[in-house]
Amino acid sequence: MPRAAEISVNEREFILQGLKENIRLDGRPFDAFRSLELNFGDEHGVADVQLGKTRVIARVSAEVTAPFVDRKFDGIFNISTEFSPMASPAFEIGRPTEAENILSRILEKAIRRSGALDTESLCIIAGLKCFSLRADLHVLDHDGGLIDASCIAVIAALQHFRRPDVAVEGENATIFSIREREPIPLSILHHPICVTFSYYNAGGIMLVDANLAEEQVREGEVVITMNRHGEVCQIAKYGGVSVDALALLNCTSVALEKVKDITKFIQRRLEEDAKKRDVGGLIAELSAENAR
Amino acid sequence: MAPQALLSPLHQADGSATYSANGYSVIGAVNGPVEVSRRDELPEEAAIEVNVRPAAGVGGPRERHLESLIQSTLRHIILTRAHPRTLIQVTLQVTSLPEEESSVGDGSGFSFSSLPVLPPLLTTATLALLSASIPLSTTLSATLVAITAAGKIKCAPTAAELVRASAKVSSLHVFAFSVGRALLLAESEGDFEFGAWESACEVAEDACCKSVEGMEVDGEVENGQEFLRGVVEGKVGREMRWRTAA
Repeated sequence: MPRAAEISVNEREFILQGLKENIRLDGRPFDAFRSLELNFGDEHGVADVQLGKTRVIARVSAEVTAPFVDRKFDGIFNISTEFSPMASPAFEIGRPTEAENILSRILEKAIRRSGALDTESLCIIAGLKCFSLRADLHVLDHDGGLIDASCIAVIAALQHFRRPDVAVEGENATIFSIREREPIPLSILHHPICVTFSYYNAGGIMLVDANLAEEQVREGEVVITMNRHGEVCQIAKYGGVSVDALALLNCTSVALEKVKDITKFIQRRLEEDAKKRDVGGLIAELSAENAR
Repeated sequence: MAPQALLSPLHQADGSATYSANGYSVIGAVNGPVEVSRRDELPEEAAIEVNVRPAAGVGGPRERHLESLIQSTLRHIILTRAHPRTLIQVTLQVTSLPEEESSVGDGSGFSFSSLPVLPPLLTTATLALLSASIPLSTTLSATLVAITAAGKIKCAPTAAELVRASAKVSSLHVFAFSVGRALLLAESEGDFEFGAWESACEVAEDACCKSVEGMEVDGEVENGQEFLRGVVEGKVGREMRWRTAA
């Protein structure tokens, strides 16, 4: 396994000097995200997120399995993050790096444990059959901000995904293919989005959405996950530098603004995609979804 | 749908390419020549590592099998001796599958063959190697050939054709050819006679390689080599715009 190219001393000094003079490498303001792009695949449940030069594809797929014995009424939902050498030659398959562990742990906390997905709705017959959902994350290009991009990709893919319709008669469940019945969207309770803050200069400088070079010279990071209603799902802090409690409060208010923007953006892209798919306006008639 | 390709869509990898044909989309990245671990180091040539990653789930025996086929094919077209004691890393990520194949996993019992995905993987690997400017002795083009029970040969069948005719397709073959019409890879599965294999091989050769001595057949679909050439020409054309514009 080749080592990742480390940032040189000169580059490090240059970036830090710039930050002290309120200038970022790419000229962004300190609290600005890079340009965000979101595209959906031809299939349901594939979201391709580009955050600056970082590119992540999330793919949600479902299959029918038996539920866990101790959780008879719940479906199964897993997020799998495995880095490939595509993103950086330093990533090796089968040997997770620290970044990979942190990413999977934060997504676990942010999306799974915050109850974003209603797993009870994935149950078909209690104790016998349920949907097992998995979200696969493919990191194609790594230029920092992996956590933010991955979270956006998974949330967008979950909203875009449609599971096959089922009909239950006693002990028998029939699963209808896409051709037989219009598949139905998942029930998602809220949409958590992660925002990463990077700290420099002993906690004096705070950046939103650092790119790879800025990530390599940072002293600490704070990842805040919240939804657009301002409910904080998790806060994680890594790195040695200490962060003032009041500064954290400030972070959450900055994060809320970003989360609102991103959620609105995802919603807009989803609507555009739905319009594109809805050829001849037939989807409303085909849908088997119950009115809420 | 005609195959589509894009060279160098990624920033981090040394070379990359996306390729989609017949419902399959693959994105490939090549890093190399890079430092090699002591375990894989070869004293007189470059080691080649191929990683195939499925669209959903983690790789299993099927992906390992595809990796070994692709690795042994690429080993013969890359000039490995030009970079001794280094590593050339090829990562191939399947991004989308035809609807027929992705819906097969619902426990319907029908297992889809691993061969249809092989030609797109090989083509993507070649394009990514070209994009990374790894020295090659030749380029490669590959195609899938199906032989039906009635003995009819179908070149580059779509997944829909395979599934609908799954009772009738008796064998599947993948052939890869170099520019000089040398056979680089032949993988077959199913029941077939040697005569049928030979004619399938001929059909594949015509689909992959340029026709000899300008025997232009009008209305002919673009063959594999011409497609590769067109993609690279397009990219070079775009990059050299600053020169030609004046």
